[in-house]
Amino acid sequence: MSFLHFQNNNTQKNDLKMRRLKLLICGALLFIAFTTIGYRTVSLAGLDDKTVRNSFRSVNSKNLIHPFRGNILDRNNNLLATTVNISSLNINPQEVLDVNQTILKLKKIFPKLNREKLLQKLNSNKKHVQILREISPRDHVSLLKLGIEALKIESSKKRIYPNHSLASHVLGNTDIDGKGIAGIEKKFDKVLANGGDISISIHSGIQHITKTLLLEQINQFKAEGGAGIIMDAKNGEIYALVSLPDYNANNYNKLLDNKLFNKATKGTYELGSTLKLITAAVALESDLINENEVFDVSSPLRVSSRTIKDYHPLNYAISIPEVVVHSSNIGSAKIAEKFGSSTQLKYLKSLGLMDKLSLELPELGKPQVRTDKKLLTTMTISYGHGISITPTHLASATATIVNDGIRVDPTLLISNSVKKNKRIFSKKTSKTMRSIMRLVVSNKNGTAKQAEASGYLVGGKTGTAEKTNPAGGYFKKQNIVTLTSAFPMNNPRFIITVMIDNPKGSKRTAGWVAAPVVNKIVTRIAPVLNIKPQTKSSVGFSKNLLKFKIRGKDKGAIL
Amino acid sequence: MIKYPSFLVVFLMIFTAVSLYQIKHFITKKEIELAETNKAIKTTRSDLHILKAELSYLKRPDRLEQIAKNKLNMKGILPIDIWNLKDLVDATKTFNESGS
Repeated sequence: MSFLHFQNNNTQKNDLKMRRLKLLICGALLFIAFTTIGYRTVSLAGLDDKTVRNSFRSVNSKNLIHPFRGNILDRNNNLLATTVNISSLNINPQEVLDVNQTILKLKKIFPKLNREKLLQKLNSNKKHVQILREISPRDHVSLLKLGIEALKIESSKKRIYPNHSLASHVLGNTDIDGKGIAGIEKKFDKVLANGGDISISIHSGIQHITKTLLLEQINQFKAEGGAGIIMDAKNGEIYALVSLPDYNANNYNKLLDNKLFNKATKGTYELGSTLKLITAAVALESDLINENEVFDVSSPLRVSSRTIKDYHPLNYAISIPEVVVHSSNIGSAKIAEKFGSSTQLKYLKSLGLMDKLSLELPELGKPQVRTDKKLLTTMTISYGHGISITPTHLASATATIVNDGIRVDPTLLISNSVKKNKRIFSKKTSKTMRSIMRLVVSNKNGTAKQAEASGYLVGGKTGTAEKTNPAGGYFKKQNIVTLTSAFPMNNPRFIITVMIDNPKGSKRTAGWVAAPVVNKIVTRIAPVLNIKPQTKSSVGFSKNLLKFKIRGKDKGAIL
Repeated sequence: MIKYPSFLVVFLMIFTAVSLYQIKHFITKKEIELAETNKAIKTTRSDLHILKAELSYLKRPDRLEQIAKNKLNMKGILPIDIWNLKDLVDATKTFNESGS
């Protein structure tokens, strides 16, 4: 009995020990668990502003950073294209209680709404009818105040161009889904779609001046259209790029193709005698022709089946500067004959006149150049026939000629670094060409006298070409008139190239139609661009300009 | 009588429950604040876009040109309106010499 009692007592003691041990383990585990939870709770309860701000930022970056397509800005940060939220007014006709009362209320805010159409919409069986595609924020508030039942105001994004038609061909447009379909909008679609802004080199003020003055001349001469380019002569930044007719970029989808066509960068044209600048520069650069060499232009030149003639014939042999100033086709053809087709094509290639431009636009035209190397082709190309390029190609080549012979590629972006481009012509050739170009404007025998803007030393070259017929040959009474110019010629800062398509009237020459535009543009833009007028007494007036003897019809005039 | 560990456990449970409730409440409040801030940012950004677009519309070069011409009687600057300082000094000299 006592043994049993002892055994029982022992077992009970062991059980008790075991239970205590279990309780202790459980207690310890619970203590650890609750301490951990308690610590975490206290640390979370002490949430500071910084933590909240960080978590806000992470949410923000996902939802808020890029809600809008990026803006397009001009070189002075003026807004050219942006995206805004717009509200549309919709209604559920099934929920309208009093149709007449609803119409009365709506007409109070939108008096232009047609009552009959509204009645038709409100009585329809549909559940969703659009009343107005766009309403202003002010109308939105007024609508809310009126408390019309069944109204649904939906918000959507819209791409807008506050300057309407200004630089519309450069900006391009977006489709209904907000995807870039033309111009800068297409070229930089990825950046803009991700909310990035694009600053372009266009100067809104200069773009407007160029457009206004070009349009005035187009209207005066009842021309079909035109193009105008203003470009920095050193780095190729484009300040203005105009193609006319243009369009209101806010109405892109309702437009016809001819208005959308970019004549400045996409359209290729035979730009006539402006190409003589290149012929003269190549001649001066090549060792085959002496600077003082003269070319007999007294009689028309017969090559193969064609006769090359001058519009203002001279009856004596003329020098290279005189060939350019008088714009002699015969002289130009004879010069080209001397340096030959291979040299000609080599320079056209190195000036970029045989390839598409490297401009930041999708609408780029490919030049068409006859490369058969026949003598007649070489001769006609020398004065701009048999070679079709865009006006921007011409502006680029002009810049290269006057920029000490270093190639200038046009760009629509602001260049922050100086690009080292290839030298095409020597400094000497460039200086000679600058002097010759100045004479085209300043000399009494020059073809661009009307481009002279007092004090700004404009220089350039005119080109009057017959318009090519798509069916073959040329339109005899339709012209493309062009003036490519630079100013001030003693240190060229800007290139101005103006092209007018098919001006009407008896005087349809570049000197008569295009030159006055350049004169007006220079006078207007020079103060904006901080270019001061120079007088003969100004320091550096005649620096970098050479004197050449230019004879007139009477063979004696010296200027 | 409640033993000490049990008291501790009960205390911890109550503390945890209260704290969790507080945190939930705090987070809900912050989430509402966040949503409101997000909405305000969106609205402000939208307003900002509209204001910038309006400003750009008002600053259109063609509009400014019309205002300058019609309201302020301004004219384009001609080359004769701009003088280089040196030319001006020379002109003054000539004027003084002829005057004396």
